[in-house]
Amino acid sequence: MNVGQQIINGLVLGHSFALVAIGWTVLLGVARLVNFAHGQMYMLGAFVTWAAIAEFGLPYALAIPVTMLVGIAVGFLMQRVMLQLTLKQDLVSIMIVTLGFGHVLHGVAALVFGSTGQILDTPFSTRNVYWNDLWFTWQDVAIVVVTILVFVALKLVLDRTRLGRLARMVAEDPQLALLAGIDVRKVYFGVFAFQGAAVALAGAMIGPRTPILTSMGFDEVIMTFVVVVLGGIGSVWGSYIAGISLGLFTAFFGALISPAYTTPAAFLVLIAVLVLRPGGLAAKPGGGH
Amino acid sequence: MSARVLEIADLTVRYGGNRVLAVDGLSLGAGEVVGVVGANGAGKSTLVNATLGWSRGKPVVSGRVMLDDKDVSDLPTPRRVAEGLLLIPEGKLIFGTMTVEENLAEGATDPGPGRRAYSAEDVYSLFPRLKERRGHLGSQLSGGERQMLGIGRALRLAPKALLLDEPSIGLAPKLVSTVLHTVRELCRDGLSVLLVEQNVKAAIAVVDRMILLERGRIVLEGTAGEMRDNPRIAEAYLGTQQA
Repeated sequence: MNVGQQIINGLVLGHSFALVAIGWTVLLGVARLVNFAHGQMYMLGAFVTWAAIAEFGLPYALAIPVTMLVGIAVGFLMQRVMLQLTLKQDLVSIMIVTLGFGHVLHGVAALVFGSTGQILDTPFSTRNVYWNDLWFTWQDVAIVVVTILVFVALKLVLDRTRLGRLARMVAEDPQLALLAGIDVRKVYFGVFAFQGAAVALAGAMIGPRTPILTSMGFDEVIMTFVVVVLGGIGSVWGSYIAGISLGLFTAFFGALISPAYTTPAAFLVLIAVLVLRPGGLAAKPGGGH
Repeated sequence: MSARVLEIADLTVRYGGNRVLAVDGLSLGAGEVVGVVGANGAGKSTLVNATLGWSRGKPVVSGRVMLDDKDVSDLPTPRRVAEGLLLIPEGKLIFGTMTVEENLAEGATDPGPGRRAYSAEDVYSLFPRLKERRGHLGSQLSGGERQMLGIGRALRLAPKALLLDEPSIGLAPKLVSTVLHTVRELCRDGLSVLLVEQNVKAAIAVVDRMILLERGRIVLEGTAGEMRDNPRIAEAYLGTQQA
């Protein structure tokens, strides 16, 4: 086994997990909501980027913001439909509705983009880097850099801006936030929009690593769930650490045992961590981001 | 009689089929402190919560709430707050995961005429203890400090009328007196306060008027002096016998 190569694979995979999960981390942390259409929104992000480049001839740099706008629109639409359920924090109905949304997105995407796989080529995805016996692509580098930038930016926004402060107030106690004059509905809309934009960005960045299919998304939502819970619900750095840890674990488990069993193995790790550290890897007294 | 800042009319609250509050009329003048007293379950908290259109439960509320002659009955809670109607609830009244400074960061930007927007420094002048604790998390504060921070947080939003729910709970008697007298001082600037209190002895020292709620209805109303002399209040709430 090439240990160095597995570390690179694990880091790229880990940053991918973290980038896919960041929207859900904020959604669950601030609004105490889940979105089981998250994986299909990731798939949609990859396909919208592909269409923007292959069908409309946009450059990759422009296709990404277009994809994020589509993600925001989908997030907004979902929140609009579920507003009353959201305000009532009716989690069971929200789970069912978002699962339904996921299937609708899958169906619409299959109708629009077809069910055959596509290759999302970008200026970085075909440019390889060889260094001694190690290999990676510039797309891998872009994933790592963009993920770090997104996490740092999010942390700064949450900790140092009014917007972040309002989100933290709603996260701690939405009822008390109402008494502080905060329009909690607007914060929920903002959180859904961020989740849509972030997962669409993930689709645009990670999609080029493998052929994309409209049937993808279910595995991604499962791994997102593992990352968010492992990291400690609502913890930004926790999600980052959990994503990297899970990526390295998956890479080494795949190399040493078999890639076929990585998902059950990831869940075993999740169970073990939750038994030993119920708040997740980044849990600390008093919560925090 | 001072100009009316807050007027409540025909306010009823129901949980399921049960009516838990039915207040025909209650008003609050500019710079006035009105106490609301009554036994546990009399509807005191329900009254102030319904006035703001706020609840941690799911009540059905009807009635009219006028703030400075403007009907705010149909406005959602954040809009009533923006209009200057503030509530400091019983129990959890600050954000525990945020520092004192962050709790005080949100202030009214353009409150309009007749409303004083307190700065964070104004709040620190009023409660110097908070200045010493400005970097501490809300969850690290004592009960008295939390109460001060709750009041400070409300003052930052430039209230016309402040609804204060049981500020004395869990506080030492000296702190109760400090908090209530600070509230009284604030009214010199024109702030109006509806003070819900079980500690009638402490409340009667700072209020202008007082109402007694029983089973969700106002059964007695009068000035502080009248209420102090009322045998029913004296015996049941002040622990004294009238001659």
